[in-house]
Amino acid sequence: MSTVVEELDSIGERRFEPKAKDINEDIAWAKINTDVLRSLERPRPIFWVIFLSAVALFGVGVACEIYQYKTGLGVAELRNPHVWGLYISTFIFWIGMSHSGTLLSAILHIMHADWRKPIYRFAEAMTTFSLMTAGLFVLVHLGRVWQFYYVVAYPNERWTWPNFSSPLVWDATAIGSYLTTSVIFLYFGMIPDLAICRDSATGFRRTFYRLLSVGWQGTDRQWSNFRITYLTIACLLIPLAVSVHSIVATDFAVSQQPGWHTTSFPPYFVAGALYSGCAAIITLFIILRHTFRFEEYMTIPILEKLCKLTFAISMVWTYLNLIEYASTWYGTDVYAKQALIYRATGIYRYWWWAMNFLGSVVPFALAFKALRTHVPTMMVVSLLLNLGMWIERFMIVTPTFAHGYYPWTWSDVWWPNWIQIGIVAGSFGWFTLLFMLFCKIFPSVSMYEVKEMVYHRIRARK
Amino acid sequence: MIRFGMTANSVASGVNRRDFLNLVGLGGTASVLAGCGNTSIESGVELVQSYVQPETFVVPGVGVYYASTCTQCGSACGIMGKVREGRILKLEGNPQSAISGGKICGLGQAGIQGHYSPDRLKTPMLKENGVLKATTWEKAMSLLSGTVSFTAQGPRRVVLTGPTSGHLQILLKAMPQSGAATDHVVYDSLSTAVAASVNLKMFGVEQTVGLIDKAGLVLSFGNDFLGAGDSPVAAARQYARFRKAERRGILIQIEPKMTLTGANADRWVVIAPGTEGVLALGLVRELLQRKEFANNLSPNLIAAVEPYNQTEVSHITGVRGDLIPRIAATLWEHSPSLVLAGRYPQGHAHGSHNMAAIALLNVVLQNQGKTLWREAELPFPQMAPALGNFKSLRQLNTQMAAGDVGSMLIYGTNPVYSTPDFMRFADNLQKVPFKAAWVTELDETAMHCDLVLPLMSPLEDFGTHVAAAQSDGMEISIQQPLMEKLHPEARSFGDSLLELLKQAKPESYKSFPDYYAYLKSAVVNAKPAFDPKVEDEEFWENTLSAGVLRRPAALLPLPAIEFSADLVRQPLRESRDAAYPFVLIPAVRPSMRDGKAANLSWLQESPDPLTTVVWDSWAEIHPSTAKQLQVNEGDVLVIKSAQGSIRAKAYLIPGIHPGSVAVPIGQGHESYGRYATNVGVNPFKILDPIFDEETGELALYATRVAIMKTDQNERFTKDEGATNLQQGRKLVATLAADQVDLAKETPFVIR
Amino acid sequence: MSLDNLISNWSKLRVRRPQVDQYKDSPYKWAMVIDLDSCTGCNACTTACYAENNLPVVGKKRFLEGQAMHWLRIERYWGEGEESTQEFPEQGAAFLPMMCQQCESAPCEIVCPVGATHHTPDGLNSQVYNRCIGSRYCSANCPYKVRYFNWYNYPESAWPSPLELQLSPDVTVRSKGVMEKCTFCVQRLTEAKSKARTEKRNVQDGEVVTACAQACPTSAIHFGNIADSSSTVAKMWKAQQVELSADKQKKDMKHEKMPAASEVASGVGASVEAEKLRGYRVFEELRTYPSVVYLERIRSGEV
Repeated sequence: MSTVVEELDSIGERRFEPKAKDINEDIAWAKINTDVLRSLERPRPIFWVIFLSAVALFGVGVACEIYQYKTGLGVAELRNPHVWGLYISTFIFWIGMSHSGTLLSAILHIMHADWRKPIYRFAEAMTTFSLMTAGLFVLVHLGRVWQFYYVVAYPNERWTWPNFSSPLVWDATAIGSYLTTSVIFLYFGMIPDLAICRDSATGFRRTFYRLLSVGWQGTDRQWSNFRITYLTIACLLIPLAVSVHSIVATDFAVSQQPGWHTTSFPPYFVAGALYSGCAAIITLFIILRHTFRFEEYMTIPILEKLCKLTFAISMVWTYLNLIEYASTWYGTDVYAKQALIYRATGIYRYWWWAMNFLGSVVPFALAFKALRTHVPTMMVVSLLLNLGMWIERFMIVTPTFAHGYYPWTWSDVWWPNWIQIGIVAGSFGWFTLLFMLFCKIFPSVSMYEVKEMVYHRIRARK
Repeated sequence: MIRFGMTANSVASGVNRRDFLNLVGLGGTASVLAGCGNTSIESGVELVQSYVQPETFVVPGVGVYYASTCTQCGSACGIMGKVREGRILKLEGNPQSAISGGKICGLGQAGIQGHYSPDRLKTPMLKENGVLKATTWEKAMSLLSGTVSFTAQGPRRVVLTGPTSGHLQILLKAMPQSGAATDHVVYDSLSTAVAASVNLKMFGVEQTVGLIDKAGLVLSFGNDFLGAGDSPVAAARQYARFRKAERRGILIQIEPKMTLTGANADRWVVIAPGTEGVLALGLVRELLQRKEFANNLSPNLIAAVEPYNQTEVSHITGVRGDLIPRIAATLWEHSPSLVLAGRYPQGHAHGSHNMAAIALLNVVLQNQGKTLWREAELPFPQMAPALGNFKSLRQLNTQMAAGDVGSMLIYGTNPVYSTPDFMRFADNLQKVPFKAAWVTELDETAMHCDLVLPLMSPLEDFGTHVAAAQSDGMEISIQQPLMEKLHPEARSFGDSLLELLKQAKPESYKSFPDYYAYLKSAVVNAKPAFDPKVEDEEFWENTLSAGVLRRPAALLPLPAIEFSADLVRQPLRESRDAAYPFVLIPAVRPSMRDGKAANLSWLQESPDPLTTVVWDSWAEIHPSTAKQLQVNEGDVLVIKSAQGSIRAKAYLIPGIHPGSVAVPIGQGHESYGRYATNVGVNPFKILDPIFDEETGELALYATRVAIMKTDQNERFTKDEGATNLQQGRKLVATLAADQVDLAKETPFVIR
Repeated sequence: MSLDNLISNWSKLRVRRPQVDQYKDSPYKWAMVIDLDSCTGCNACTTACYAENNLPVVGKKRFLEGQAMHWLRIERYWGEGEESTQEFPEQGAAFLPMMCQQCESAPCEIVCPVGATHHTPDGLNSQVYNRCIGSRYCSANCPYKVRYFNWYNYPESAWPSPLELQLSPDVTVRSKGVMEKCTFCVQRLTEAKSKARTEKRNVQDGEVVTACAQACPTSAIHFGNIADSSSTVAKMWKAQQVELSADKQKKDMKHEKMPAASEVASGVGASVEAEKLRGYRVFEELRTYPSVVYLERIRSGEV
């Protein structure tokens, strides 16, 4: 991936102007500490306003879920044949979001793309929190959530196991492992920074960071162990990330339904996941850069690289999408073809065309330097891309239910109702509040890695 | 001595539970052995280890079947109830009944819900200051007794019932005879009295028996024998044999709106409402051109059909001209044929003429003695069913309006619901000083009564029933309780009748402590006709356990009758009324009938076979009509006749004449338990005062209406999804009859 | 199932369904034949199913929302293709009783995460309510869409007293959050089998039928044991040359050339031969291997 980016990079360099620097290499290390630690100070009132709004939004979701839990899933207007509704669409959306943290922190790490360093921390946090959000949907969606543990292969006296041939069991396993590994990776990568926090904090905060920094002193031996472990977890995390979304894809591909039963679904889902994740990173990048005055770390050249990366992935996604259309259109599966035609012409047609427009046309904005260096534009574009990807998930799940094999149960009237929308909105509140807490408790820019980056670049310059 | 039955005295003491179970238990054992193929009591005893000492004949965990009779419609199907731990759980057909043959329809199945209905009336109710309030049976009986002796209230004391048969019918007949009442009026809102009168004129009997399974071709003019017919289970069984015959029978259905039977036809022909007779005469004329048939009619009849040539008939009926000779040819090629006429041709001002013209086809084809018979002699003619009609209710209504009716006892019918508004029946009922109704649930008529009495459910009561037009021997169906009374205050109608008769004519009835005793002695007295060798008690027990008293008897030939050509005279073509351009078809639903079953939630949720709509009323119109009116599915229409209007959602269906709109009967109850109340609309209400010229029966399908579109559109509560086509999937595949050889298939087991 | 049991019976547990002669040595394989020429669409079977299986009545609002619980539904079609061609339905309507097809290779079984729906030794696709967690994956993957989910806690509202007295004690009353579907009246089968077992014999043909088959006024629904070659249903399967373990029947290969995709889509179907057998299974080509054979509807074209 980085080769592509660098290639694009070098094209830009040759044609237009001398390469802008990713970061001011002459920045003082002490300034890095000060700048980053500043983000952990007492928040401004606007923080509380947004935070409480997020809590309120989450509260709406919780209220809807309590109502649904007590009354039954019927209140969400789930029905035959629309048995899944928004919950599974949004589940895929959040799982997809989680992928780019891994891309930035693990894949680019082992590829030595050092421009990732100032921005991977919050991306990794985003990964963890979106996974935690996605996990909620698995629970929200179950008819008998109080027995969710049946899907886990736990030893019991009756020797009853989950059904290992079901992709949902793979799902539970893969998401569980991925979440665990992500949390460890996020925490482990923060230890040197937590030590910096410890050193400059007072009172209970100092105790808090001291406990978390597990006696980090920055000795050579510690650094060497740290490096090896970090790399190992990164290597573990990459296959997990790929497998998680492949498995989510098999939830559909293993089933027999028209529109789902496609071998191209796993790579298509992974591409979609990276795509929406990168778009989300751009959004959060811009927000953090603005809020915490991180202009010196989250620089425009890094944003550009991110945009180029997103553009490349969007084209991969578009390609896989077109492959799917073409193979269905020219294939012999009449049912799948009918389902495809239904997507383009049925009651969900506006959404389908919106998805194709937002997913495949809007990303061309990223190809223009003038646009991708214009921060407000990028904010809008990244939000549009994510909207497009959310619609994509909706369009994968819903039309197949509406227009499957069995014509008698074809339904032309289903739209999600306020319970489902409330729970989906609640999930955004939940994610926002987790992310805001994270940014105020932990350094959202990796201080030690920025120092490394600067150090290595100065050495390279010399 | 087993004492069972609900006299005024026995209610207070209550029925001994052990006695009850003894009684039905004895009945049940034999029926189990006789062949329902399920478990027996004896085998269960060995298997079940119970910690509680069960009642006699109750084996926990083992269901036992007891025979009884279904009373959901008049066809008197033998049924069996599965009873477990003293509760009845499910109804099945009784294999010993020649009518049901072990089969049962949806309406019959749902009878159990009427029994367990949460809205059953539990105590007698007396109206005080316009409100029904609970009272006691003592009070109620004293009020009822007042109607027996003449009072100054009014000259006529009327018993108004729905169609009845068996011993209840004998008691009802005895009411005017003994002076306990002056009149017994039998009312049926969906009566077939027009057909009966025409049959009498042309075949000498009111009820002919058409043998579908003996016919090679059935030509049915709107006879919904598979759905809302007279005996749908028996007809469906005949139909199955008809289809599986060596040469597969062909069904042609001609009607203005598709019925369930029409949906199963090889050829469904749409016809302008009321012109069935014209088509029939056209077919007669066509048939007469064959020399085999040319001599089957008298000259004046031949002259009468002469004007009905192909062009003329096609012009009047809207049926394609080339179809007429083709149907005639098929009638000939697939003889013996059977021509049936149903509700649609009856329901017009010229209904009798319509029916006669159709019956003329049977005469020309000489189906009498082949597929058309007269039923065998019933050994006890006094038990024959009293099929109701509309005319007598109309007369009663006039008397009520004139203040001639002093008291009215109502059972088994709901005229306030099923009479059109123009009769003002509810208003006239208020002019009757004393009116009492026996009901299981408070319906519209009961709400207008002064005294309402809680009736036992048919599954708690004894009774005997005789079906009309039985095709396979003669059968008296026996109804026995399948479980103890749910509500202790409920009583049998027979008990109340007997009480009143005892007052009017003590010498005849005082020997019977209750209706059960009366029934038992009557049945046992009939023993010589069935099984003279056994003891009385044994005969009674055998009868209960079999659920039927059966006598094999051959069908009788129909007498040859001369009739005048005037019978088949068809009216001149009606001119269309511009203000009311459409014909209203109040369609009869197989599961709802006249609305009596609307309180059963299974039937409310059972999709209408053709529209798949549940829990609602609707207005069926043809897509071309909808296009013309710019109506989409779900648009709320106002259907307005000269008498009033109703609102219903439009349902587009290809199986209807474009000049008609069909609204199903059965919904629109104002009071009838939680499941029926405020569901849909009642098309009875807006019917025009048009009557059959010959019999005076209400013409059900002659009302003309205007359709107005409103701005409202509501989604349909229906089972059908976004499409009603198979979309190229092989779901219901259809083969042409000449592509398949049924003889090569394994013989079908058809009961 | 103990671990030992699991290991020693591994090959049995991993049986690939269906196999040729799979039920040759087993006592039971329940199956159906539904004659669409006899079926009149009268709904007697669906009501019988409500009565037998404690199906809740959901009411107008929930039916409108697509939450009906009819295990057996009668479908009514006006045409075969994608477009309606006739002004009037001259050959009547086409009715199809559709319930769980008890597939031998059931799409629902492989995707259930907890194994709540699985195959029994007598060939039923069973549903274990206790085990179900309500993921609804089975319903999502069912090509026939015959699985019904308890969207609400129906026992609270469906049987106001004393209607609950009608509930059969042999059938679980399902609570909210579990999936359910036609069981081929498994409670009747269990009762018949245990009775036969105590009498040291197998269940005889005709000894037990489903509620729908028992009610059907035209005897269109035939139920029985096709492992017993002398049973009526086995004979009907044989006479129709329908092989349980085939995804395309030999007789169809003989009679039809492969229809082009466009033909399938437009409902034209295959070429017409002189005489045909009527038996077919719905969506056989999806390799679900259903246990229900439908016999084609017949219509005479003489008039």
